[in-house]
Amino acid sequence: MPGCQSMTTTYEGEQHVIAAAQHILKVLGENKSLTDDFRRVLTELDSHLSAMTIITESKRRGFAEVEEQLKCAERKVTRWESNPSLIWDSGPTEASEYIQAVNEIHTVMETLGGLSMNDHGRPKELAFRAQCVQQIAMSRLEEELYHILVQHKQSFELKNISFPSRVDFVYDESFVSVEDEIINDTSQRDNSGRESNEYTVDLIDPLLIPDIKSIASVMFASGYDREFCEAFIGNRKDALDEHLSNLEIQKLSIDDVLKLEWDALSCEIKKWVWAVKIIIRVYLASEKRFCNQILGDFGSHDSYCFVEISRASIFYLLNFGEAIAMGPYNPEKLFRFLDMYEVLADLHLDMEGLFSEVANAFVMSEFHDLLRRLGDSASAAFLNFRNAIALDSSMHPFPRGEIHHLTRYVMNYIKTLTAYCDTLNVLLKDQDVDDPNPVFETDNGQDICTSAFSPLGCHLRSITSALEANLIRRSKLYKDGSLEHIFLMNNIHYMVQKVKGSELRLFFGDEWIRKHNGKLQQHATSYERATWSFVVSLLRDDGRTSLKERCRRFSNAFDDVYKIQTRWRIPDLHLREDLQISTSQKVIPAYRAFLGINSRNGSDKYIKYTSDDMEKMLLDLFAGSSMSPRNSRSNSHKW
Amino acid sequence: MPATEHQQSFLGRISIRRNQVTAMDGNHEQELEDLELFQRHTGDRFADLLSLPDDSPFSGETFLSISWLRKLVDVLLCCEAEFKALLIMGRDPSQIPKPPLDRLLIDFMERTVKVLDICNAVSGGVDSIRQCQKLAEIVVSALEQKPIGDGQVRRARKALGALMSALTTDDKENNHSRYAERTWSFGRRGSNSGGNHKDRATHGSFRSSSMVVAKNWSAAKQIQSMCSNLTVPRGGESTGLAQPVYIMSTVMVFVMWALVAAIPCQERSGLSTHFQIPKQFGWAHSIIGMQEKIGEEWKKKEKKGSAGLLEEMQKMEKLGQSLIEFADGFQFPAEAEKLEEVAAQVAELAEICQRMEEGLIPLQQQIRELFHRIVRSRTEILDLLDNGKASQPII
Repeated sequence: MPGCQSMTTTYEGEQHVIAAAQHILKVLGENKSLTDDFRRVLTELDSHLSAMTIITESKRRGFAEVEEQLKCAERKVTRWESNPSLIWDSGPTEASEYIQAVNEIHTVMETLGGLSMNDHGRPKELAFRAQCVQQIAMSRLEEELYHILVQHKQSFELKNISFPSRVDFVYDESFVSVEDEIINDTSQRDNSGRESNEYTVDLIDPLLIPDIKSIASVMFASGYDREFCEAFIGNRKDALDEHLSNLEIQKLSIDDVLKLEWDALSCEIKKWVWAVKIIIRVYLASEKRFCNQILGDFGSHDSYCFVEISRASIFYLLNFGEAIAMGPYNPEKLFRFLDMYEVLADLHLDMEGLFSEVANAFVMSEFHDLLRRLGDSASAAFLNFRNAIALDSSMHPFPRGEIHHLTRYVMNYIKTLTAYCDTLNVLLKDQDVDDPNPVFETDNGQDICTSAFSPLGCHLRSITSALEANLIRRSKLYKDGSLEHIFLMNNIHYMVQKVKGSELRLFFGDEWIRKHNGKLQQHATSYERATWSFVVSLLRDDGRTSLKERCRRFSNAFDDVYKIQTRWRIPDLHLREDLQISTSQKVIPAYRAFLGINSRNGSDKYIKYTSDDMEKMLLDLFAGSSMSPRNSRSNSHKW
Repeated sequence: MPATEHQQSFLGRISIRRNQVTAMDGNHEQELEDLELFQRHTGDRFADLLSLPDDSPFSGETFLSISWLRKLVDVLLCCEAEFKALLIMGRDPSQIPKPPLDRLLIDFMERTVKVLDICNAVSGGVDSIRQCQKLAEIVVSALEQKPIGDGQVRRARKALGALMSALTTDDKENNHSRYAERTWSFGRRGSNSGGNHKDRATHGSFRSSSMVVAKNWSAAKQIQSMCSNLTVPRGGESTGLAQPVYIMSTVMVFVMWALVAAIPCQERSGLSTHFQIPKQFGWAHSIIGMQEKIGEEWKKKEKKGSAGLLEEMQKMEKLGQSLIEFADGFQFPAEAEKLEEVAAQVAELAEICQRMEEGLIPLQQQIRELFHRIVRSRTEILDLLDNGKASQPII
């Protein structure tokens, strides 16, 4: 109403006009007749005056309208005050009417705000009244907002969100027994790289978003932005807390984490890895989108609210990581460190999307710090693994010369490590290693070359050489030199089989396999020499020992070997057969020759076993079942 | 004294000391001198804190104010850096894992873990103070309007209720405040509400503070267990490294205790039970002085229930109380005199909000820095213990 403004001309100006008017009246009173000019001026004045009357009239009428508008809005607002039900539950018409009433109050206040505060009386009274109604409405909207957010919260089914999951490596830190069967196939691992941002879900029923937005709009327009944000943040923070506890994330202090037993800790870490992924990739991405949908039109409020909602939880999750990264860096923790490192590395871009604003640089820097610390922890655990192998020792020889638990443990452990090869290549890049079996470019195939030359390849070969050194130390514990070779054959054979039958082949290269097959052959030869050279030598005619005595000595020696070596065990049937065959090839021809030479000398009565018997008996060796020559073969013999 | 000055002068000292260390390696005299310096610096730093002007309310430097706490954390950071230099630099690592130092260091590390948890809890407490700030800002923006009408007074009153509830929340019973009832009853339909919105009455504009620490975690218990095995080095120990370990532990315990007393924190009953610091140590005089001062304040607080001794919060509470009285007795039009008084209080509240706006985030970041620093030192000391062991001949 521009006319209103002109009414409030300065007091001084008004005084002049009044003085002038009084002067005119005085002149009119003194003169009975009017000049034409004078009459014309007065007529103009009159028309001015009547026009001004119209202006004051319209002003009065305007106030009346405004008052009516306010009264109407006030009725709508106060009517709901005595109504126990929620406006937004009562239907869209009610809700939009209420919003409209609030908008009207706002219009009224803007209109009244245009008036000078010097103008006492009704406009000011109306303004105060409008403020009161507005306050009632704002309080109400805050409550309605709160209840919409609570009632239309949508929980998303975690089952529907499937990330390709990593299968666990089951292991025992005490190097006891790791059976091959429980080592899961790691090929199912998530190597698909970064998934796209397809994971956002609706945290609030999307149908309600326009309603929430309309509440935001009127509250912001009315200057109640702080109230809106506080209520919004409080509610969404609670929802996030609730979601965390649905993910079974229980808040633990660092003190608690450091005191947890490994099993429980490992379990917490797995929950964490899962929760971090869900929270960052799905939940917070959705929350950020939601904040933007509601508050995107109101400047930086959406990012302020988002950070306030998420900060405490993000910090809790990061702090758990910090507690884990504090160590100690036991080898068994390596896989959990790697899991944690990989999940964070994988979420790096998601985090940047969430906290890209400069003001949130501190969140990102905490995130990077933790990522680095987890990477360091993983490297430390990896190096400790090698040291643990080098230092692991025993006073007692391993029974029956079998595959040692350590060998199984180490080989399965490193086989599982190959699943983390990209990460480990990054982490181990700067770690020096003494590679005992460097790979040369003679290997065929581009892939083989790359993996074998990779930092992980060097480190893995260094680990197996530490293992071999350890095994050689252990083999010295046997009093029987032959068993030393059986033990090493068993263990080296196991290593070679593991390498050949898995991804490890790429990291070790064919040269390594050839070299170790060669070692197997050497040990087989050494075994034959150690056990059988002496036994066979007893058959030889040295010119001093009688035939009878030679036969007796040979039989005794053979029986001794039989008795002892049937107890030894080569679990791998092929390896066992190979050794038995090559032993046969060494022993049986010599024995046949002996029998052939001496058959004419009536040696039959001194001969305990036929060559066929002996060949069969050799097949009993390394079966791990204690047998004596008498109770095993004797039944099938004629005596 | 600006916060960085400590560090600058300290770094200067380190570089001098480093030269000395290489020149006089293994010198016992040097070690004693270092210890004496450490004691003197520690004493000086705390004396500076104690002597800050107490009477000028707007300097922002008052005892237990945000900027004072930032100085306090700074002092801890400085002491920590000097301690680490003393412990690690120029030292033969094989000295470390020998008794009694190994045992003392292991106890020390356990204390540092508790410091980390307290840092996190305090950081969460700073968040809840920031929430008070947001509520106070609503009060300010409502009451700053001129002339003040019923609507804005009611708006302010609602925010004040939530603010007072947040300021006086008794940490013993979560979210239990002497203002709570009044705040919640502000939701008018609280009593006659139907089943479909029965939780409506429990909602105020006060954000429920989400749990930042473990459920049964107790700040007071953490402090107590930090003190439990903290004993004064005796006899031969008192000249060796046992002494700096003791000083550093005491400084840590004191600073954590002061932070927990000043900033809202989970479960603080029994916080007033003093940990004993023997009076004979020169370096401890100022700490004991502050301990007494804070202890007295705490006793007052325990009686009336308040979320923390932070000077800004105390002031906010006083102003809030007075503004609530104003709001409850408000009738339009208010007397000019009363309005002037309120305007002054609102201005003061706005000033406190401003101080919080400027100081809380930096304080939080500083606490985080302390957290990371302690984590790093812990790793270094653990390495020392391990390496020292490894370098010993294996028997």
